[in-house]
Amino acid sequence: MTTAAAGTGKKIRGRTASLNRFGKGTQAGFHIVLGIFALLCIIPFLFVIIISFTSEESIRQIGYSFHPLSWSSQAYQYTFQLGDQLWRSYFNSFLITVIGTVLSVLITFLYAYPLFRRDYRRRNFFNFLSFFTMIFGGGLVPTFVICKSVLGLSDNYAALIVPMLFSPFNVIIMRTFFQTSVPTELIEAATIDGSGEYRTLFQIVFPIVTPGIATIALLVALGYWNEWFLSLLYINKNMEIIPLQYLLMRMQRNADFLAKNSAMIGADASKAAAQLPSQTLKMALVVFIVVPIACAYPFFQRYVVAGLTVGSVKG
Amino acid sequence: MKRFLSLVLSLALILGLCSFAHADDLPTITIMFHGSNVTDDSAVLEKVNEYIADKVGAKLEVIWGTWGDFDEKATNTLATGDSDVDMLFTCSWSADEFNTYAKNGFFEPLDEYFEKDPEFGNALKAALPEALMQAATVEGPEGEKHIYAINGFKDTATQNTWDINVTLLKELGYTVEDVQKLGFFGWGEIFAKAKEVKGDSFYPFLVEPAVAERMVTNTIIVTGDSGSVNLLSYYMDPTDVSKADAKYGNVLLNKFATDEYAAFTKQMREYYQAGYINPALAVAETSNDTRTNAQKEAAYLIGTQSYAYGYEYSAEVIARGVEVQFLPCTEPYVDTTVSQGAMVAINSASQHPEESFRFLALLNSDPYLMTLMNYGVEGVHYTLDDEGLVVFTDERANYTPWTNGMGNVTLLPDTQAEGKGFRESFKEFYASGKAVPVLGFIFNNEPVANEMAALANVAAQYALALDCGAVDPETELPAFLEALNGAGMDAYLTEANAQLSAFLGK
Repeated sequence: MTTAAAGTGKKIRGRTASLNRFGKGTQAGFHIVLGIFALLCIIPFLFVIIISFTSEESIRQIGYSFHPLSWSSQAYQYTFQLGDQLWRSYFNSFLITVIGTVLSVLITFLYAYPLFRRDYRRRNFFNFLSFFTMIFGGGLVPTFVICKSVLGLSDNYAALIVPMLFSPFNVIIMRTFFQTSVPTELIEAATIDGSGEYRTLFQIVFPIVTPGIATIALLVALGYWNEWFLSLLYINKNMEIIPLQYLLMRMQRNADFLAKNSAMIGADASKAAAQLPSQTLKMALVVFIVVPIACAYPFFQRYVVAGLTVGSVKG
Repeated sequence: MKRFLSLVLSLALILGLCSFAHADDLPTITIMFHGSNVTDDSAVLEKVNEYIADKVGAKLEVIWGTWGDFDEKATNTLATGDSDVDMLFTCSWSADEFNTYAKNGFFEPLDEYFEKDPEFGNALKAALPEALMQAATVEGPEGEKHIYAINGFKDTATQNTWDINVTLLKELGYTVEDVQKLGFFGWGEIFAKAKEVKGDSFYPFLVEPAVAERMVTNTIIVTGDSGSVNLLSYYMDPTDVSKADAKYGNVLLNKFATDEYAAFTKQMREYYQAGYINPALAVAETSNDTRTNAQKEAAYLIGTQSYAYGYEYSAEVIARGVEVQFLPCTEPYVDTTVSQGAMVAINSASQHPEESFRFLALLNSDPYLMTLMNYGVEGVHYTLDDEGLVVFTDERANYTPWTNGMGNVTLLPDTQAEGKGFRESFKEFYASGKAVPVLGFIFNNEPVANEMAALANVAAQYALALDCGAVDPETELPAFLEALNGAGMDAYLTEANAQLSAFLGK
C-alpha cells in the first residue's frame, strides 16, 4: 500500500518535471501567442500616443490613423498653456493617490490582522461587519448624505480620500494572505520569546506579508488614481482640488451630454460644442494620466509575482 | 484600530466644519447653474454681493455646473435634501427633472413669496410674460398646481430649420428657393451635383437624425416621453402649428409606425446609399463630433438646426466663413418642452427661501444685475463701444456662463456681434410663437415606467440607424416595430392617449 502510494507520487513528480520542458515548436507557439497578447496590450496605447501627436487637420480628414497625414505637437503645447489647472490637477492626482494609498493600506493591514488571529474572540463579528457591506450597500443617496452632511466631506481633499479608504474586498485578500503565509507557530514563538503584540506585528509579520501589501497597494493606488466620481459628487466650488482624471472625464461627459441633448439645447449646444477641446487634446491628457501609473506597475509587479510564488512554511 | 478610524473620521469632520466657519453676518445663498465655462468668478461676485447686500439681504455663491455633470449633481442635491444649495437650474429636457422634481416635492412652491414680497414679486411679474409663468405652474406633491420655478426667456418658442450653405449652393447653380421648392424628398439632384463638384469624400447632407425626422414629419417632442430616444409623435399641421394635423387629430402615435415615418426612412436610405450622408453620423458615439466638425468647416450643403433667434449672426456661424441661411420648416411654435426650456427653482431644503426668491426676482427684472451675472464686469470682461454695444475682452474666456440658462435674457444689452436692436427683435420673434394644441400636456410615465425602459432599449438599437438610412427600412423597420410591440408599445400608447384625452377634456 505504502510503496504503491510512493510510486504514484514519484510518477507524478516525474511528469511535472517533464512538463516544464517544452519542445522547440511548442515553445515557439507560446512565444507567438504571448507576443500577440502583448501587442494587443501595447497597440492601443501606442495608438493613443500617435493620435495625441496627430494634427487636427488630419483627424478631420481621415479620422484616427496610425499613419496620420501630418504630425503636430499642438495638443501638448496647448496643455502646457492650459497652465495652472492642469498642473494643479496633476499634483492633486499624485497627492490623493499617495496619501490615500498609505492610509488605506495601513487600515486594511490593521483590520485584516486581528481577523486572521484565531485567538481574537470577536473576529467573527468583525469579519461579518466588513463582509456585510460587500453584499448590502447603502446606495448613492444615503452614502452622499453620510459623507456630506455627517462627515463634512465636501470641497476638501478628505472628500476625495476618505470614502475609498476601506474596502472589505481588500481586507479579505489581506486576511487570506495572512492565513496562507504567516504560520501561527511563528506568532506563538515570538510571544514565547517575549515579543509584544506591536513588535510581532511590525517586525515579524510585516516582513513576511510585504508581497500581500504590495498587491493591495497596487489595487488601491490604481483605484485612487483612476477615481473621478468622488470629485463629481463632492467637489462643487473648490475646483482647484480636482484630480486630472476628473478634468478629462469632465471634457468627455460634456461632449456626451451635448451630443445627447443637442436637439433640446439647440443653437446653444453648437456654441458650447465649438468650445470643447479637440480630440488630440483629450488623447494628450490620456497620455499624461497613463504614463505615471504605467511606470508604477513594474515596481509593484516584483512583489506581486513574489507573492504568488513564495511559500512561507518550510519543512 | 477603532481609535484610529474614529480619529480619521473626526478629523474629516473638523476639516469639513472649518469650511463653514468663516460665515459673515449676512446669510449666504447658493445657486447652481448648468453648462458654464467659468474659471474665475471673483470679480463678478464681488460686484454682485456689493449690489445685492441691501436689496436681497444675502451674499451670493455660485456653483458653476458643467454640461456633463449637472444632472448628477442636481439629482444628488435634491434627493439628499442638501441645504447647501438654495437655487438650481431646472428644465424639462435634462432627465425631465422639472416636472418630476416638482411632483416629488423637491422644489419650493413660489406663489406665497409673490405675496410676501410684493415689491419683488410685481417687478418679476412685469418682466416676464404670463405664458412663462403658466409653463412653470405644475403639479406638486399633493396634486395642486403651484409656480415651482422662475422661467427664463430661453427660446420661448422653437423652430426647426434647414441649415443651408448658401455659398456652396450658389456654386452649384441653385438658390434657396429651389431647395424650398424641391423639398426633402427632392434634393437628390442637388446632392448629386454637390458630390460631383466637391468629390467623393464630401457628404452634402449633414443631419442630426432624430431632428431631421421631426422636421420632415412635422412632429413635436412629447414632454414626459422617453428622453434618450423619443417614442411618441404628435403631428401638427405644418401650415398652422396651432392646429393638430388633419389626418391624425389630437392623438399621440407610435413614432415609428406611421406612413410618414416609413417614407422618411425610405428617402434617407436612398440618400445614404447614394453617399450623401456620412456613415459616422449613424454611430451614436461619433455622430455629434462629426456633425460639429463638419459644421465648423462648412463641409456640408444642407444640415439640420434647431434654431435660436439670431443664430446666423453668432460668432460660431460667422466663423464658418460661408454665407449661411436657415430655412424654417414651420413657423415658430411653443410646446410644453420648449416652454420649460430653462428655469431656476428654489430647493425645498433651502434655509433661505425668502432671500433666494428676492435674488431670483431681482436677477430676472434688473438689467444691471442680469448683465453683470451674464456678461461680467464692465471694463474687465467687456467694454462698450461708441454705440453702447457690448464688446467682449479676452477675460471673457474665464467667465462664460450659459447665457440662456440664467434667466431673462431680454434684459441684456445688445452685443456688437448681434447688432443694435437685436434684443428687441428677439422679443418680437418669440412673442410671435404660436402655441401647439397640446401645450401644457405633460405625460406622466410613472404607470408605464417599465414598458418605457424596455421600449427605449429597443429604440436605441434601431432608431438612429433607421433615421440615418444606414440600414434598409424594408427589412429593419418591420423587425423594429415587432420588437416594440413585444416590449409593450400598446400599453404605453394607451396610457399616453388616456392621459392626453383627460388633459384635453379639462
